[in-house]
Amino acid sequence: MSQKTTPIVHTAGLCKVFRDFWRRPKVAAVKDLNMEIRPGQIFGLLGPNGSGKSTTIKMLLGLLYPSRGRIAVFGKAPTDVSVKNRIGFLPEESYLYRFLDARETLDYYGRLFRLPERVRTHRTEKLLDMVGLRHEARRRIGEYSKGMARRIGLAQALINDPEFLILDEPTSGLDPIGTRQIKDVIRELGRMGKTILLSSHVLADVEDVCDEISILYGGQQRAAGDIKDLLSKTELTQITTEKLSEETIEHIRDLLTRLEKKDIVSVGAPRHRLEDFFIQVVQESHRANIATSGVRAVGEMPDFLGERTRSLVQSLVEAGRRRDVAAPTGGEVVEPAPIVETPRRAVVEELLASAKEDRRAPEAQEDSPPPAEGPRRAPVEADRAVIDGLLKGSGGGDHSP
Amino acid sequence: MTVAVASRSSRTARRRWRLLRLLIGLPAAAERGVSRFYSWTPLGRTRVGAIAQQTVAEGVRMKIALVFLALIGVCVLGLPLTIQGDSTLTGAVQSYLSYALTTVGFLLAILTIFMSRTVSDELVGKQIMVLMTKPVARWQYILGKWVGICIFNAGFLTFTGFVVFGMVHYIAATHPPIEEIYGSTQMKGRADEPGAPASADRQRLQTEVLVARTATPFILPDFTEAAEAEYQQRLKEGFYDLTRDYDPQEERERLAGKAEAAWRVVQPLSRRLFQFEKVLCDRSADNEIQIRYKAEVFGYPPDEILRAEWVIGDPSKGAARYHAYTRHVIQRYQTIKVPANCVAEDQTLTVMFINRNPYANPEEYPIPEPLYPCTVQFIESAPVECLFVVGTFEGNLARLLALMMCKLTFLAALGLLATSVFSWPVACLVSLAFYALAGMQSFLTEAIDPMDTADATVFSRLADFGRAAMAGDGAAASEAFQGFFLEGVGESLGLLFYVIPNFARFNAVEVLVDGRNVSLVWVLQGIGQLVLVSTTLALGLAMLLFQRREVAEISL
Ligand SMILES: Nc1ncnc2c1ncn2[C@@H]1O[C@H](COP(=O)(O)OP(=O)(O)OP(=O)(O)O)[C@@H](O)[C@H]1O
Ligand SMILES: [Mg+2]
Repeated sequence: MSQKTTPIVHTAGLCKVFRDFWRRPKVAAVKDLNMEIRPGQIFGLLGPNGSGKSTTIKMLLGLLYPSRGRIAVFGKAPTDVSVKNRIGFLPEESYLYRFLDARETLDYYGRLFRLPERVRTHRTEKLLDMVGLRHEARRRIGEYSKGMARRIGLAQALINDPEFLILDEPTSGLDPIGTRQIKDVIRELGRMGKTILLSSHVLADVEDVCDEISILYGGQQRAAGDIKDLLSKTELTQITTEKLSEETIEHIRDLLTRLEKKDIVSVGAPRHRLEDFFIQVVQESHRANIATSGVRAVGEMPDFLGERTRSLVQSLVEAGRRRDVAAPTGGEVVEPAPIVETPRRAVVEELLASAKEDRRAPEAQEDSPPPAEGPRRAPVEADRAVIDGLLKGSGGGDHSP
Repeated sequence: MTVAVASRSSRTARRRWRLLRLLIGLPAAAERGVSRFYSWTPLGRTRVGAIAQQTVAEGVRMKIALVFLALIGVCVLGLPLTIQGDSTLTGAVQSYLSYALTTVGFLLAILTIFMSRTVSDELVGKQIMVLMTKPVARWQYILGKWVGICIFNAGFLTFTGFVVFGMVHYIAATHPPIEEIYGSTQMKGRADEPGAPASADRQRLQTEVLVARTATPFILPDFTEAAEAEYQQRLKEGFYDLTRDYDPQEERERLAGKAEAAWRVVQPLSRRLFQFEKVLCDRSADNEIQIRYKAEVFGYPPDEILRAEWVIGDPSKGAARYHAYTRHVIQRYQTIKVPANCVAEDQTLTVMFINRNPYANPEEYPIPEPLYPCTVQFIESAPVECLFVVGTFEGNLARLLALMMCKLTFLAALGLLATSVFSWPVACLVSLAFYALAGMQSFLTEAIDPMDTADATVFSRLADFGRAAMAGDGAAASEAFQGFFLEGVGESLGLLFYVIPNFARFNAVEVLVDGRNVSLVWVLQGIGQLVLVSTTLALGLAMLLFQRREVAEISL
């Protein structure tokens, strides 16, 4: 992963101080941020409210100018117009034109990229299919529900088949299907070799898709690195099989004591995750053709995405990526997410729980492997500090005197 | 039975409903068609063009267009019908034109300023944050907005043009000429009925309002020689012997002025020759030129009528000669029409005015006249003019609208400049103030001028103040400071007026109403000054300021 390629984003000593009318400093939103996003990475930006995630993203896009420090996006200044051809951006809220309908919106942004009409129409339709709004495409965005507008926001960000996608809280306001879909899109795009920067509060989502994360607090980076390294619990092993009888479990227990002198930590039947169950219900409703003025079944990934990088992707896929990726939800009943993924998600949640008191893992986590008794030691000490900080500290950036 | 009836009626209802839906859908379909066509034009294919279209679409969809269309409709269609003018047909058309065009000009100025709100909206609504992450340069954004507003305005102006044109013809066709109102037996009928004798009122409308005429003032003779002679005479007579301090040059000028004043006065039964140059009209006999004059009169005749004889044309220069005997109400502009072949080959014209109050020889004028001798004075800046048709009313109207457009382009740029710096209410106020100042510019500059007394500058005043303060002279210092302050205010106001374009200079409404030519040169001047200079400056500044602006910055 850490080849010597030019980074997509490189910041050095990045600071942002918001000032008032009289130029007096008011808020130090970002402090001395050094960040590097390399091609092909899916980078997660985490942190409590007001920790400077959006501010950082806006600086990367040239919407805010840094007070100090340097930024290079594709090796150029973020204000450079040519850089924008390679970027897609989904802002934290949907900032779209209320008086345009979905199709017109996508067409408008397509025109700003000077895409020929044929290409624009093609992409618009594909994207509308993807976000499941083709049937509502004639309605003005002002009439849309929050999540619907957000979906158009996502579609808008993909109209230019960007190499670098910046998503600010992509799953906020979305229903579970939209959430799952965004995650699928992100993973799919990641497979195509695109670079993605996303900020989110939904740790499970971040965990599902990101390779690398950075946790901000008060505008400062408090932890960063490969998510696998940060979250792996090397002291546990998990095996998943079809349902076993009590006897077999006893045998296994014996075997374990004999061979490894260890005991089973917990045994249980994994449940469906609510996400999967919800998706299943909605898809059944869709198949039953129940009328809705909301979002329809989500479609497939548009074929134009990644046209440029496809050959590269092929080779990457063949070489075998380091991660299993759930197949895009093409309409069949969704399989439960691969269980190999869950432990890592559980860790963060567990950490949050165990930081407060010493107790058993909450019920919602029963699908995860049996947690060990007693308080967990966080894999990395820095993480622990951050999470403690997250719990104690209120939101809001650092307020300089 | 009843079922069948019900179903039939419901079918017709449904059909009607479908028709209605079709009608309602029409504007939307038209809009789609236009925007599709536009996206194929060279402008529509650019980013600036896309942003411009977006701006227009916003104006249309947010019902701004509809509201203004209604407002303009009321001003241009509704209210004028209740306006009467001076009950002549000509007067009705003139007051309609003047009223409608002035109001529309004002409304569109307000609209233009209001349209610049789109930038504030996008900053507050943060749509700009998405837009600016597309490959759109800041200047393209500003330019696109400007083009959009201009397209919007151009649409309104075109609409206005057609409506005003139609309304003028409507009034001309329906409003009775004054002869009909007052039951004058002669001269009835309509100008458009072939062979019908045209009424004077109707004719006046056609020849003095619904045309584009160009005017040449007479050439004022040179009085310096006469003044010099008089001066020498006075010198010789020892006129100045007792006067010590006098400036010979000033005295000559004064004498020239006196001679001119005398020349402008025409005693009873005496005559005055007016010469015109560059009467660049078609000299054929079926073409017509007009002599327009206004006479001030001493010895006010009780019947307020000035009787005059006009001898027009100089046969020695190959021109036809015409005599006209006029009885005109005094102190009003009056028009005499003569065939154009009275203009000489070298495009000059000679007009002799003879003061016939009273007519010396009753045989010369068939109607017995009372004897009211009076002295005529031509004192207006252009008391006698020669007018000739150079264009049509339609062309004139189009050029007037073009001049209006020039102003609106500037206002659009001004509005964008204001919104790229200030929040909306402030920007709106600033733009409105600027617009008001631009309208009153000449008036205000005159008011400020007298303040510019001595040849002191701000700097010299400041130096005075400094010196006085150093010397510790409190009273002198305070006085000097006062001077400095006043001078400073005057200078900065002067500077402001240097920057604000003079809108009144490009107000063509009165000229159009007068049936005079809104010349192409004027339009070009408008384009040069208002568009190429003022607009470019404002727009450039707006782009510069917007470039430096952090669009995600929240300013409260
Ligand atoms: N335009 C602005 N003017 C003044 N302060 C600002 C501005 N934008 C952000 N801030 C401040 O900067 C800090 C960081 O804000 P930012 O929006 O980056 O947080 P965030 O991490 O995205 O939070 P959230 O999770 O709520 O989206 C906050 O204290 C916020 O109040
Ligand atoms: Mg945020």
